[in-house]
Amino acid sequence: MKCYIGIDLGSTTTKAVVMDGKGEVLGRGITNSRSNYDTASAVAKQEALIDARLTLVRRALAEEAALAGAAEGVLEGLERNFRLEQFLEQLEDLERTCLANAEHDRHEDLRKAMAEALEEIFGRLRADAEHLYAPGAERKSDFFRDIAGSRYMQRAEEVAREAGLPFDPLLNVYDKSIIEVENRPPAGDIGGKFLRALGRVLAEGGVHADHEAVRAAVERALAVELEEGYVVGTGYGRVRLPFSKEHIRSEILCHGLGAHLMYPGTRTVLDIGGQDTKGIQVDENGIVVNFQMNDRCAAGCGRYLGYIADEMNLGLHELGPLAMQAKKTIRINSTCTVFAGAELRDRLALGERREDILAGLHRAIILRAMSILSRAGGVQNEFTFTGGVAKNEAAVRELRKLVKENYGDVKININPDSIYTGALGAAEFARRAVEA
Amino acid sequence: MAIITAGIDIGTGAVKVALFRVDGERTEWIGKRNERIRRRDPFQLAESAYDDLLREAGLSREDVHYVATTGEGENVPFRTGHFYSMTTHARGAIYLDPEARAVLDVGALHGRAIRIDERGKVLSYRMTSQCASGSGQFLENVARYLGIAQDEIGPLSQQADNPEAVSSICAVLAETDVINMVSRGISAPNILKGIHMSMATRLAKLLKAIGANDGVTLLTGGLALDSGLVAALNEALAEQKLKITARSHPDSPYAGAIGAALWGAFRYEKLAALGQLPQAS
Repeated sequence: MKCYIGIDLGSTTTKAVVMDGKGEVLGRGITNSRSNYDTASAVAKQEALIDARLTLVRRALAEEAALAGAAEGVLEGLERNFRLEQFLEQLEDLERTCLANAEHDRHEDLRKAMAEALEEIFGRLRADAEHLYAPGAERKSDFFRDIAGSRYMQRAEEVAREAGLPFDPLLNVYDKSIIEVENRPPAGDIGGKFLRALGRVLAEGGVHADHEAVRAAVERALAVELEEGYVVGTGYGRVRLPFSKEHIRSEILCHGLGAHLMYPGTRTVLDIGGQDTKGIQVDENGIVVNFQMNDRCAAGCGRYLGYIADEMNLGLHELGPLAMQAKKTIRINSTCTVFAGAELRDRLALGERREDILAGLHRAIILRAMSILSRAGGVQNEFTFTGGVAKNEAAVRELRKLVKENYGDVKININPDSIYTGALGAAEFARRAVEA
Repeated sequence: MAIITAGIDIGTGAVKVALFRVDGERTEWIGKRNERIRRRDPFQLAESAYDDLLREAGLSREDVHYVATTGEGENVPFRTGHFYSMTTHARGAIYLDPEARAVLDVGALHGRAIRIDERGKVLSYRMTSQCASGSGQFLENVARYLGIAQDEIGPLSQQADNPEAVSSICAVLAETDVINMVSRGISAPNILKGIHMSMATRLAKLLKAIGANDGVTLLTGGLALDSGLVAALNEALAEQKLKITARSHPDSPYAGAIGAALWGAFRYEKLAALGQLPQAS
């Protein structure tokens, strides 16, 4: 099957979309951006292809009436166990790397104790993994770095205390190692991991359909060849993508087109990404006519919430729901992302509720987005909100309120896959390059 | 009579505790602790560090006459009193380096310059603005990104042969800049030195702003031990034709805690003379 791929190399996350010849999206993948752009785009692409495989499995299961009832359960279990397989694979890599780096630790007298502590920490992390990926379990993030990082931190503190070891060297070893692990090209053997995941799903006993028929359908989906027809790259890091010039489009163009594909009636697009906030006006064909973005300061960007999540030791996903429980909105005075983290700590120390502070932080981020929008020429009907922050319900609530106050009843579109808008536009450019 | 006094400095990046015995003019430093916070609860860290120090000194909380907090330590439940960090750093600096006539306190978020007299009295001061560009936090984030431990930063920075200027203004956007530099193959020493240079330029301006034109400036705060920053600062001072010698002391990070402890002893004596003794818990 011929497919077209768009890759959006953002400052914080790298996204990829796989599309078929008819323009239908087969899969989406996301990873965090790293210092090695080749690896970041390779990982995002691989993730999108994994998601595309799941789409093919869904189709294969749908083809057989007898399996129709079991499809959702199989897919959910397959994805969950595939992630577990991936996690264990990377955890093993991380353990090896940490042990090797501990060997070179500057504190010679600590080495032996460090190695023992690391083995203990990783033993506990492996034991945690099954629970992390158990049915219904919620993870604070989708990225290995975040999941492994916060668990490691917790376990290292326990082990350090029990063993009477200093905590800092254990963290330093982690900091050093996670970068090496992240910047290694992604491991292959997708098919093998899917089959092992399938084995786990069937062994879990939740699939009430003929196991052999399920296995046959999954194997059929795995056998389909996904041929890369054309790849287009965009985003902040696009100039460094390992692509030739004709495979690269500006991110403003890709965002405009992506938003247009999702909502053909859209005229204004707000994109709040990791490190930039863009207000874009597009015409009826999705072509950009005007835009504004932040420069010199990251206030009002996605990273703002990332910092706050770090400060509170929460996952990015948990911020919105917490802020929704606010009883009042605390005014946040710091414009600077980094200082807002310190202000948050002050407010907490003064006894304010975290929900109310979070509501204030969400309001602050949206107020800044509104000022960029007004510089870009205001909000016109229809208005589409894209980027990672569009997933955050508290930010969305604040945006709806402020758009209504300032621009009246404008139709507001928010797509659950809005974070992939730029990659979607890029994939469509790739498809048009061949099919049109 | 000898006064046992503790200084607790809670910063954004680390908690510092210093324990002193003050007997008239004689000042004995009994113990010290410096714990990086790294997402742990600073108040719990402060309490356990404080109790550890007491235990090592063979003392109990009842033996302590005054527990003085500074920095963000206002909410430490067992404190006797709180001192503004400007005054504690000034006092701590004079204790560590009697020649100092200015203090440059460089912590995780703030940089501040304080002009002082020979007794540690604050004459004037200036702080960095409400933007974290060039803060210690920024440097720490970059180091973590590069996989470099705190105490490796300085020596590496001093190996730079072609420092890369940090173009971005914002601490958050600059992180992306650094990602870009790594992908362009710029070496860690050249990146770190570039950041040190940009921080040094700001700090030199602060010193100018408080009217420090010559003499010794003591660096305090968490970044004072970063030899790369100290070197870059002296280069920047020479470039701006300021006859200031910026130097550091191995115990510079404790300046706030030392100052708090010494001010605590001072206040205790005053109150004792007035017959209004506070109760430490």
